[in-house]
Amino acid sequence: MKAVFLLQWRRFYRQPLLVLAMFGLTVIFVSVSAAGGQDEPAIVPVYTESMEQEQALDWVERLNSEQQFTFEWMPEPEARSYVAEGDVPQAVELMETDYRLLVGREDPARLALDSLLRRVYSEELRLEDAAQEVPDIRELMDSALSDPALEISAGSLQGNGDGDELQLLFGMTLFFVIYTIMFSLVRIVDEKRTGTWNRMIMSPVRKWQMYFGHLGFSFLIGFSQIALIFLLFWYAFGFELGDRFWLLIVIAACYTFAIVALGLLIISLISKPQQLSAVIPIVATGMAMVGGAFWPIELVTNEILLAAAKALPITYGLEALTSVAVYGNGLQSVMMPLAMLLGFGGICMAIAIRLLEWRSAS
Amino acid sequence: MLETDKLTKKFKDTVAVNNVSLELKKGESVGLLGPNGAGKSTAIAMISTLLKPSSGDVRLHGKSVLKEPGDMRRVLGVVPQKIALYEELSAYENLKFFGRLYGLSGNKLEQRIDYVLDLVGLADRKKELVKHYSGGMQRRVNLAAAMMHEPEVLIMDEPTVGIDPQSRNHLLETIRRLNHEEGMTVLYTSHYMEEVEKLCDRVYIMDHGKVIAEGTKEELKAILSDQETVWIEFDQSYPELFKKLSEIEGVQHTDAEERSLKLIIPKGMRLLASLFHEAERHGAQVTNVHVQTPTLEDVFLRLTGRTLRD
Repeated sequence: MKAVFLLQWRRFYRQPLLVLAMFGLTVIFVSVSAAGGQDEPAIVPVYTESMEQEQALDWVERLNSEQQFTFEWMPEPEARSYVAEGDVPQAVELMETDYRLLVGREDPARLALDSLLRRVYSEELRLEDAAQEVPDIRELMDSALSDPALEISAGSLQGNGDGDELQLLFGMTLFFVIYTIMFSLVRIVDEKRTGTWNRMIMSPVRKWQMYFGHLGFSFLIGFSQIALIFLLFWYAFGFELGDRFWLLIVIAACYTFAIVALGLLIISLISKPQQLSAVIPIVATGMAMVGGAFWPIELVTNEILLAAAKALPITYGLEALTSVAVYGNGLQSVMMPLAMLLGFGGICMAIAIRLLEWRSAS
Repeated sequence: MLETDKLTKKFKDTVAVNNVSLELKKGESVGLLGPNGAGKSTAIAMISTLLKPSSGDVRLHGKSVLKEPGDMRRVLGVVPQKIALYEELSAYENLKFFGRLYGLSGNKLEQRIDYVLDLVGLADRKKELVKHYSGGMQRRVNLAAAMMHEPEVLIMDEPTVGIDPQSRNHLLETIRRLNHEEGMTVLYTSHYMEEVEKLCDRVYIMDHGKVIAEGTKEELKAILSDQETVWIEFDQSYPELFKKLSEIEGVQHTDAEERSLKLIIPKGMRLLASLFHEAERHGAQVTNVHVQTPTLEDVFLRLTGRTLRD
């Protein structure tokens, strides 16, 4: 087994391109996409006709405290000019109890802007109403909020910038590692084609040792890819991976095992390298799309796709990773996805070995 | 030392090997001769424990190897018909791997690599990648890989297919040395009669999955002891003349090529007068006539009615 295992590393040393390409692609996709998501908030020109400048600037300060957009006060002609020239998609006219949007072109952020303005205005107007009854309502509120009896927080991947980044990192890492693992397993098929496999069979090495030599390499190369990418993004790119990195590594190992087993199953079903070259990308991309590697699975509403996702290891890998890194959960909360990954791997491995043995015997 | 007993392999409705019984004595060089599709490779795959026979047995030192093939695998070196090497690795790296498969390591492994590379004449190019070698050089590494563990029996399945004459001679000379000087037992399959004639003490001739003749080269040629082979060359092709000559009374077998004709005739038959007479009638010019003692190729032709390359 050791000889077969060491041989794979020697072959990797001679032909490292595929693995390096998958590693590089993961880094490029995640860093470029994450950088795209970290843009400065969009600038929204703000003007007023009915308010004093000082009053308007108070509103601007209040709006900017939300940190979702950058509101910039300017004279009306200048704001209109920005919109007319197409430099910004919209501007806001502030009024005492209302606001008006000056829209130049359709923009996906308009709904969010409108929602923000409505929320801030409603809150402010409610406070003003209350202040008529209780003049020091603002001070009372500030004091109550500084020492709350109960703190409730809600989070979601979409609303959480770090969550988005981590979703991207985990999704791309688990997606590209499928290629690395499966294409490394194609070597078994290739060895059968070239005759070196038969040469090994005719040696004292046993067949299970031959398989384990290959599977061990595929596991280690896939696992190393995931671990190195996590480490790279943690240390070099400053991604917050939580304080249970060891658990992420455990999840990565379980996921790698499941993918190695799935790869072996595919190889046991398809014996031609050319066919495998076509099937592997279909399997990898299909699993990634359905399993939530490209977008959060929470966005999927189709019942069939959701049911299909439950049969895919990538779903459980992502679920476990996000549970630990984004929500800070421990081993107990990821036991189920880990068990699913190990179970999936075990079943695939058992079927694959049966099929391979049956094929070689016939 | 090594024997097969009524070895048979069926693939669905096809019987690839049918009741083949072979025997190899220690230090002997045995040829397995037959045309493509005769069942040689299937027989070898079963002997080398790669393929399970449908029936029959393979024995090493009298002990069946079918259930426990480990003993056989340790003493057997197989040179496959295909070049079964890692072409992205060097000859040295390939040999190191195949040596490790047999448990070699450290100095012993390095010494063995040096020895086999020297044996096949590639010691000075051992660091080059196999994919950069010529076909002949790859064949030599293919042989060297089978030699790494000092096998007692070397089985070669058409090891010279598709290589240049120089590499072929080198390979044949290496095999001859291994057999004559190191006493290695050799089972050599080929459809090249001259290779088997040059290398082997005894020959089994296979056709359609069966052994149709066996014996020493002399014993086999004795099958044709009352016959001789006449090889006639013409200035061009004369299909009608060839047909006429093959119909001459007494001619037992014919093999026509483009400008030549081989006839197997009873010893002492007066053929030449008829030959020149017919040639003149057809306006053909005879450029060469050669009467020779039978070869294994002629034996095969006699036994099967076909040539080895058919």
